[in-house]
Amino acid sequence: MGRRRSFDEDEVVEAAAKLFARRTYDGVSIDDLVKWVGVHRNSLYGVFGSKRGLYLAALRRHVDREVRPRLALAARPDAVLTWDLLLLAAVDRAPEDSEVAGLVSSVFAELDAATGDPGVTEALLGRWLRGRPSVDVPTEDDALETAPGEEI
Amino acid sequence: MAVVSVQGQDLVVEMEGLDKLWALKSRLTIPLANVRGATVDPGILGEPKGVRAPGTHLPKVITAGTFHHEGEKVFWAVRDAQKAVVVELADETYTRLVVEVDDPRAVVAMVEKATRR
Repeated sequence: MGRRRSFDEDEVVEAAAKLFARRTYDGVSIDDLVKWVGVHRNSLYGVFGSKRGLYLAALRRHVDREVRPRLALAARPDAVLTWDLLLLAAVDRAPEDSEVAGLVSSVFAELDAATGDPGVTEALLGRWLRGRPSVDVPTEDDALETAPGEEI
Repeated sequence: MAVVSVQGQDLVVEMEGLDKLWALKSRLTIPLANVRGATVDPGILGEPKGVRAPGTHLPKVITAGTFHHEGEKVFWAVRDAQKAVVVELADETYTRLVVEVDDPRAVVAMVEKATRR
């Protein structure tokens, strides 16, 4: 039985990634995804199978498109991480989901290799956490309309 | 209310009490290999459900039975939307099951654990 795909799968995954980067996994309902990502509920289930299926697609896309190509930049002094989806995944989902844990661990190992020193990775992660209280949080609309920043 | 369990290589969905009657089905057995995922989704009750055949549909009270909508065949057994779980299937008569369970998060965790390869 053919599946109707009246939407751009990559756009859906990208928009979902933006939403998952701002809220915990449990804080994102299917209603939120249908509303903000603009995908029909039936299509969401038909293509991704579940909320977890869409989340994993979003996290993998983020890692492949935004994190891995910029690992080298992270080695620069004073680099500031903007990989919110990855870092939120490490805190929120990795303890619950072994597949997320595996992906996050391997990216951290790649980051160690890029910086040449796990201490640098830890300082980067620490600076990200340290900067959280002063992050200017845009409204939901801004967050979903604005393109990702130029920083890494 | 439905009771969802993993028995061997199957996911088993059993209707309890009068829901057997409304849904006209007491038990569904799905090979785990055909289960694509499970999701807690209270909002799905607000979606168009399509044509019921056979089963029972009293809007806002109970949605139970087989519904046909946009080429998909969906099994419903829900009274309380807050406890609705969506189980997406592949290569089965039903495209998906929407059932009410006692503890939606626990059921989703169980299905994810059983289907993770």
